[in-house]
Amino acid sequence: MKFIGIVGTNAKKSYNRQLLAFMQSHFSAKAEIEILELKDVPMFNESEDQSQTPVIQNFNTKIIEADGVIIATPEHNHSIPSALKSILEWLSYNLHPLDGKPLMIVGAAYDVQGSSRAQLHLRQILDAPGVNASVMPGYEFLLGRAHEAFDDAGNIQSERTVDFLESCFYRFMRFARVANLLNVPEEVAFEPGTYSVTAPGHNGDLPMTVELSSTRIEKIDIDTSGESQGIADVVFTRIPTQIIEGQTLNVDILSGASVTSSGVIDGVSKAVKMAGANPDVLKKRPKADSAINHGDEEYETDVIVVGAGGAGLAAAASVLQQGKNVIIVEKFPAIGGNTVRTGGPMNAADPQWQRKFAAIPGEGHTLQELAAIAEEQVDAEYLADFRIFKQQVADYLDETKNGKEFLFDSAIFHRMQTYFGGKRTDLRGNAIHGQYDLVKVLTDRALESVKWLEELGVEFDYNDVTMPVGALWRRGHKPVKHEGYAFVAALEQFVRGSGGRIITDTPVERLIIEADGRVSGIVGTGVAGQTVTVHAKAVVLASGGFGANTKMLKQYNTFWSEIDDEIKTSNSPAITGDGIRLGQSAGADLVGMGFSQMMPVSDPQTGALFSGLQVPPQNFVMVNTQGKRFVNEYGSRDQLSIAAIDNGGLFYLIADDKIKETAYNTNQDKIDKQVAKGTLFRADTLEELARQIGVEPATLVDTIAKYNSYVDQGHDPEFGKSAFDLKVATAPFYATPRKPAVHHTMGGLKIDTQTHVLNESGQIIPGLYAAGEVAGGIHAGNRLGGNSLTDIFTFGRIAGSTAIADHASAADGLTVRR
Amino acid sequence: MKLIAIVGTNSNTSTNRKLLQFMSKHFSARAEIEICEIKQIPAFDEPEDKYAPKEVQELCERIAAADGVIFSTPEYDHTIPAALKSVIEWISYTTRPLINKPVLIVGASHGLLGTSRAQTHLRQILDAPELKARVLPSSEFLLGHSLNAFDEEGNLVYADKLKELDEIFEEFQLFVEINNRLVQDHSFKTEQNKKFTWEQASQGGGVQ
Repeated sequence: MKFIGIVGTNAKKSYNRQLLAFMQSHFSAKAEIEILELKDVPMFNESEDQSQTPVIQNFNTKIIEADGVIIATPEHNHSIPSALKSILEWLSYNLHPLDGKPLMIVGAAYDVQGSSRAQLHLRQILDAPGVNASVMPGYEFLLGRAHEAFDDAGNIQSERTVDFLESCFYRFMRFARVANLLNVPEEVAFEPGTYSVTAPGHNGDLPMTVELSSTRIEKIDIDTSGESQGIADVVFTRIPTQIIEGQTLNVDILSGASVTSSGVIDGVSKAVKMAGANPDVLKKRPKADSAINHGDEEYETDVIVVGAGGAGLAAAASVLQQGKNVIIVEKFPAIGGNTVRTGGPMNAADPQWQRKFAAIPGEGHTLQELAAIAEEQVDAEYLADFRIFKQQVADYLDETKNGKEFLFDSAIFHRMQTYFGGKRTDLRGNAIHGQYDLVKVLTDRALESVKWLEELGVEFDYNDVTMPVGALWRRGHKPVKHEGYAFVAALEQFVRGSGGRIITDTPVERLIIEADGRVSGIVGTGVAGQTVTVHAKAVVLASGGFGANTKMLKQYNTFWSEIDDEIKTSNSPAITGDGIRLGQSAGADLVGMGFSQMMPVSDPQTGALFSGLQVPPQNFVMVNTQGKRFVNEYGSRDQLSIAAIDNGGLFYLIADDKIKETAYNTNQDKIDKQVAKGTLFRADTLEELARQIGVEPATLVDTIAKYNSYVDQGHDPEFGKSAFDLKVATAPFYATPRKPAVHHTMGGLKIDTQTHVLNESGQIIPGLYAAGEVAGGIHAGNRLGGNSLTDIFTFGRIAGSTAIADHASAADGLTVRR
Repeated sequence: MKLIAIVGTNSNTSTNRKLLQFMSKHFSARAEIEICEIKQIPAFDEPEDKYAPKEVQELCERIAAADGVIFSTPEYDHTIPAALKSVIEWISYTTRPLINKPVLIVGASHGLLGTSRAQTHLRQILDAPELKARVLPSSEFLLGHSLNAFDEEGNLVYADKLKELDEIFEEFQLFVEINNRLVQDHSFKTEQNKKFTWEQASQGGGVQ
C-alpha cells in the first residue's frame, strides 16, 4: 500500500517529522510512506487562487494516487498550526483530493498532552463537507514528551509506544482497504427507455426527453420551440453535451443562467430516477474533460474583439475577410449579446426598393412636417443636408401630386430623422445632438451594410418594409426568419468557418497597455478560473452599453427625473458597461453618458420585448389602467416612456384579431400559452377584456370607438397620432400588459469615423477601437428604433477594416502557448 | 474606549469586513473602533533570529494600546481560516498582547450557521495559556446569510440581528471596563515576561 504522510508544521525542527520518518522506516516492509512538507505551501487566500501551482498540484496528485493519508500534527494554541490549516484550505477549495480518502491522525508534542486538543480540532476540520476525508475512528496516537521519546537514531525508545503505534497502523491499513471500497465508482443500471421530463424555460417549462440504454445516457432532447432563440440555447446544448460526454451529472452551471442550468440537470436526474437508478452516483462522477481547467492560456492574434454581439461579430468578420486572424472574447456562455434580443428590422434607406410600396396614411404629413422645420432650429453642420432634404420632399410631392403616393426615402432623410430624433435637452439644460460625421457614416453606409450581411448569408424579406417601434419611418430590412438571431447565426458561421476563434465564458479584466500608451492585448478570466491572456496588434471594444447596470445608469443619468432601483431592462444581463470601464483605463473620453433610452413596450415582469403581441406602431392602441388612451402611439420612445411613467408605468396594448396578425414576434402557440399563463389577456368582447384587466368596460369601449373613428378619418384630434393602419374591430380582442424598461444607452466611448477611440485631448489611443453601443456620439439623446443594428453592422465592419489598415504589417499567424 | 477590530480573513471580499465596518460606524458615538487587516502579515514561520516581522510588531503594539479587541471570523472547514490562525500564532510568539485583553468574537457566513463552529474553536484557541485572552463569556454573535445582510451603504438590514449586536456590544463595553479594572489591580505578568518557543508553550503554557 502507498500512503502520503504530511508533516503538520513548517518548523525546521519537528518531532512530528521525526515521528513520520520513524513510521516510514519501521513499516517499510508493510507499506510505502512518502513524506510531504509544508515549507513551500503559500498561505491560502480565496482571492488569489493558486490551486494550479506546482506545489498545490503536487499535494493534489499524490493524495489522489495514494491509498491513504497520515497527518502528523503538532499543537499550537490548542489547535492545529496555521501552516497545516492552509494546505487543508487549498485542498478543499477548488480541489478536493481528500474527499473519501482514508486518513489517519497522529501527533507528537513536547508536553504530556501530545497534541490531544489539536487532534480533536483536526478531526472536526477533516469532517467539513469541502474536505470530507474518511478519518479512522478511535486509535488515537498521541506522542507526549516527544523530546524524550526518540533515541539518537530516531527510533521510538519505548516498546509499549511502538506496540501501540503498530496496532494503530495495522488497523489503518485494514481501515484504508475497507474505506476505499466506498470510493469504487458505483455501477448504474438503467431500465432502458426514453423518459419524458421537463426543463425550465423563460416562458414556462419545456418538454425534455432523456434516452437511456441499460448503462448509458444516450441522448437528451430539449424542445426549445417555445423559446426566443439564442438566449438560452447554450444551456440547452452545452449542459446535455457535457452530461453525455462525461456520463456524469457533475456539471458546472452556467453564469447568467443558473436556474435553467440546474433545471436541465434536475430534469436528467429525474429521468435517471424514473429508470430505477440513483442520480447521486452520477453526481459523484468526474466532470467531462471539456469542462476541466487545464491551466492558464495565452494566445497571439492580429485583432482581439471584446464582446460577441452583433458589433463584435461584424468586426471579426471584417478582419477575417481581409485574411487576418481574430479572437473574440465573450464573457457569457452564449454569444449574440443584445443582438439576439432585437425584433430584427434594420434601418437603411433603399429608395429603389421602398418606392414599390404604397404610402400609408399620415406619412406624407410626417414628411411635410419635418421639411417645415425652421432653418434656425437646425444645427449649422446639418443645414446643407437639410436643404437637400427639403428639395427632395418638394420633388416627391410634385411627383406624387397626381395621387400615386409611394413610400419615399433617402439616405439624407434617414440622416435628418436620426439627427432630429436624437436631439434632446437633459434636466440640467444641456442640449445634445448626433455628431454629424458619425451620423453621416451611419446613414450613408447603411445600405452597404445590408448588402454586406446578405453576402454573409443573412436573408432579408423584401416583401415587407417594416417600421420598428420608435423608428419614425418604414425603412426596416427584416430577416426572413429568427429575428435578431438571424444576424448572429450567419456571422457566427462565417467567423468560425473562416478560422476565427470565439472564447466564451471569459470576462476581460483589463487591457494590456504598453509604456507608450498603445493597447496590445487583454487579460481575462476563463470559465474554470484560469487566466486568459491574448496579445494582438489591435483591440476592438464591442461589449455593448450599460443598460443592465442600474448603478452605472443612475451614476451618469441626467435625462430621467428618476431611475428606479428595481427598473427592468430589455437587455442581456451581460450588458454592464465593461467596455466603457476598459476604455477609461486607457484614457478614453466619454460622450453623452447621461442619456439612456427606455423601451416603453416591455414586459412588466421581465423587461423582455418578446412577450405579448408586438405590432408595428401604427397599430399600437395604448390604454392606461383606467382604460383611456394617454399618448400619441406613433411618438418617439422617450415620449411614450415619459407618458407611461406619468400614467403609473403599467399600460396595455389593445389589439384585435387582425392587428394580432401584424405581430412580428409570436405565433398562435405562444399566444395560447401566454393567455393560459395570464401574461396576455384575450376575450371575445371588449367589455370582457376590460373586466380581465380591471378597467371599467364602458370606458374601454368608448376609447376604442373613438380610436376607430380616428383611423377612419386619418386624423387623431386627441393625441395627434399621425399614422394609422387597422381598427380594433374583429374578435377576439387582446390586451398586452407593458411597462417602460431600460433599452439602450446612447452615451459611451468617444470615437472618430474610423472607430478609433479618442482620449480627452481628442487624440487617437493607439491600438484601441470601439463599435456599437459601447461608443457614444451617434444617437445622442435618443436612438431611433432600427438604427442600432445599422450602427453595429456599419461601425463594427469599419472597426475591423481600420484595425487592419492601421497595422498593415501585422501578419503573424495564430499561435497558442500553453 | 478604543477597540481594535481584526478582520479574520485575507480575502479581498468579505462580509466579516463589512460587519466590522458597520460596527465601527454604528458604535462610533460609544467607542473608537479601528479596523485592522491581516492580509499584509506574513504567514507564521518561526524566525531563526527570534524576531517577528515588523507588521506583527505593529499589530501587537496596536493591540497593547487598545482597551479591547474584536475578532470577526469566517468559517473555513469548520474552523477559523489559516490566515487568522497564523496571526494568532504570531501574537502568542511575540509580546503576547492578548494576555488579559478583553475580546469579543463575532462572525459572518454566507450560509445559515453564521460561523458557529469557527467561533467555538477560536474561543478554545484564545483560551490557550500563551494567549490567555479574556473572551466575553456566554455570548456569541453569529451572522448567517451575510451576503444579504448589508445594504448599499453598508448598514446591517436584519432588525433582530441589529438588536442582538447592540446588546452584545453594550455588554462587551461593560466587560472591558470591569476587566481592565481587575487587571490594573492584579497584574499577572508571568507569561508575558517569558521568552517564547513552541516547546515552552506546550509545557502547559510555561507555568512551572
